[in-house]
Amino acid sequence: MAFSAAAAAATSTATAFASGRHRRLSSSSAPSPSFSQSALPRAVVAARRRRRRAALPASRAAAFTVRAEAKTKKSVLIVNTNSGGHAIIGFYLAKELLAAGHAVTVLTAGDEASDKMRKPPFSRFEELTSAGGRTVWGDPADVGAAVGGGASSFDVVLDNNGKDLDAVRPVVDWAKSSGVGQFLFISSAGIYKPTDEPPHVEGDAVKESAGHVGVEKYIAEQQFGSWASFRPQYMIGSGNNKDCEEWFFDRIVRRRPVPVPGNGMQLTNISHVRDLSSMLALAVESPGAAAGKIFNCVSDRAVTLDGMARLCAAAAGVAVEIVHYDPAAVGVDAKKAFPFRNMHFYAEPRAAKEALGWVSTTNLPEDLKERYADYAGSGRGEKAMAFDLDDKILAAVGNATASVIA
Amino acid sequence: MAATASLKSSLLLPSPISDFSGAAVSVSAQKRRKSWQPRGARMQVSAAADSKNILVMGGTRFIGVFLSRLLVKEGHQVTLFTRGKAPITQQLPGESDAEYAEFSSKVQHLKGDRQDFDFVKTSLAAKSFDVVYDINGREAVEVEPIIDALPNLEQYIYCSSAGVYLKSDLLPHCENDAVDPKSRHKGKLETESLLTSRDVNWTSIRPVYIYGPLNYNPVEEWFFHRLKAGRPIPIPGAGNQITQLGHVKDLAKAFNVVLGNPKASQQIFNISGAKYVTFDGLARACAKAGGFPEPELVHYNPKDFDFGKKKAFPFRDQHFFASIEKATRELGWTPEFDLVGGLTDSYNLDFGRGTFRKAADFTTDDMILGKKLATV
Repeated sequence: MAFSAAAAAATSTATAFASGRHRRLSSSSAPSPSFSQSALPRAVVAARRRRRRAALPASRAAAFTVRAEAKTKKSVLIVNTNSGGHAIIGFYLAKELLAAGHAVTVLTAGDEASDKMRKPPFSRFEELTSAGGRTVWGDPADVGAAVGGGASSFDVVLDNNGKDLDAVRPVVDWAKSSGVGQFLFISSAGIYKPTDEPPHVEGDAVKESAGHVGVEKYIAEQQFGSWASFRPQYMIGSGNNKDCEEWFFDRIVRRRPVPVPGNGMQLTNISHVRDLSSMLALAVESPGAAAGKIFNCVSDRAVTLDGMARLCAAAAGVAVEIVHYDPAAVGVDAKKAFPFRNMHFYAEPRAAKEALGWVSTTNLPEDLKERYADYAGSGRGEKAMAFDLDDKILAAVGNATASVIA
Repeated sequence: MAATASLKSSLLLPSPISDFSGAAVSVSAQKRRKSWQPRGARMQVSAAADSKNILVMGGTRFIGVFLSRLLVKEGHQVTLFTRGKAPITQQLPGESDAEYAEFSSKVQHLKGDRQDFDFVKTSLAAKSFDVVYDINGREAVEVEPIIDALPNLEQYIYCSSAGVYLKSDLLPHCENDAVDPKSRHKGKLETESLLTSRDVNWTSIRPVYIYGPLNYNPVEEWFFHRLKAGRPIPIPGAGNQITQLGHVKDLAKAFNVVLGNPKASQQIFNISGAKYVTFDGLARACAKAGGFPEPELVHYNPKDFDFGKKKAFPFRDQHFFASIEKATRELGWTPEFDLVGGLTDSYNLDFGRGTFRKAADFTTDDMILGKKLATV
């Protein structure tokens, strides 16, 4: 296969960077627009990252093959939640694995007829089936029944559904008894104990009482051929089931101030979901390298809360007025009034870089432009919307004294 | 009590070499080599092919003190270029007399003012240094005469600063990030640009806040003074600003590991601690390091005060930290000290022994605390 000059140069750096690590193969089919990034081989991605996150070029269809090891086709089962911020992870991973030639079944918890299935990403499952993926519905407490009996055996099972042992144990037990070689779990970076010394890195103390912690321990005890746990934070990406950047756009397009709790300097990770799916896909394709590991499933840059507001405004091409407030003093629950935790919530993906040779491609300024284009086209900006909590905050704070013009 | 005492200083190198001239140096060098004779094996090492003739610009105050020791231990010939105002060498706490004698007998001194560019050029041209460590360079003009004088220089290793990074909402700072041409450290940036433009093999190290025994910048010392005095720690803003400290010994190791390293050629590396820390967290870490009880933290709005020329807090009032991932990946270097461990090392070897660089000054603290009391 012919390499472009840039790709050839990138390959050598990617080689040094990911020595011995598995390369992802890209399919020869043109990637769909929302997955154009994930279809890019990592060699090109690494080169772009070295160009200091310049705006990603439009010609994303320039796919080529980087082949470092013989590829094994895997049969992967993704047990996916039917709602919430993590729903999109299974969707992107399924698409990425299908594009790479693997066999993918997505078992969504609950009923196919449920109202929840009308929301993205579920409303876009045709993108999975048309790519050869299988989508089923059922109760994760009985995976066997849901995926159907018979000789179908999976190489890999990913639980992207349960938050505690009650929900995940049946999936783990079924996988173990079915002889599944690799078990992956979507946990949460929320289990880290607060620290004076950010970022959260793999190995740091976690809250023992957290449901995800119990699950991670249980999985580790099962002696799968390979197991790994992934701890994500916040995500953006087309098909998201939960608002993220939309919360900011809603206010910005209506020229409303953006109320941010505290002093707005709290740092958090907001990753494009393609970073998560690329990390998971690497683990699927390199089970040995991923074995027995915890991975912070986040991009490698954090953003301040004020910074997120500013970046969203820049993506929308308008100015933003940020208003800081003390939730307690104002009398609002920060969890309801603001989409992110009111504290530093900042992890780094060190294990994935070191063990998997993974590279982050989230470019928040650029990615938010794409998200804004979707938002603008959706008509959501014109809908009548109530901002009760905002109004309460602004009234309490007194707009004039506390505003920060960004 | 002990005033601004520097560490216990011991005998200096005899003055024959302090007036630099070719003859004088070779005579003294020969004298020193004679005294090395009994150490047969070591003589071999210093004559080994990979032993370099190294010039350190500075090297008597903080980073260079530790770096020069590493270089001498590795068998390199080390010359420190300083004005001679401070002792050329000083015995470190915890360093045995024998170790110190070994080191001080080997390190050489080139006395001069690096601002005297003509002198720099002529004195360096007279000697063929293989490598230059520029620890105290601030402006690009200071570097030009050095490069001009040493056309066969194998490597120019420069101590830059993470202060060159442009303030950003996206963190940590990485080596390819945008830099601020207007920052206080623009001289460092201009030096890096000069090095890039000249035909010289260069490496630039960008530390964040450096700490450790002998620190002349009151970083940890600022907290230790207050902790020792049992005073509250005044912290600007919410105290959730995130900064980063790197131990000087880890920095010295990094400077050493880039020597002759092809992976460091024309490269910039952020060098600091593996983790970052909030302002509040740093106060607590210093307390742990010195065995003090958990400190009382007092937050204030800096805009409510006019401190004049005095600095009320030793860190810039913003997030400021850089990723060391490139260095760990490319150089195989990792910091040995975690924050509390490193601060303990600093405390035990410096402040805890009664030594510090800057006397305690609680003027700004009292302004802050006074106002706090008044508003209660």
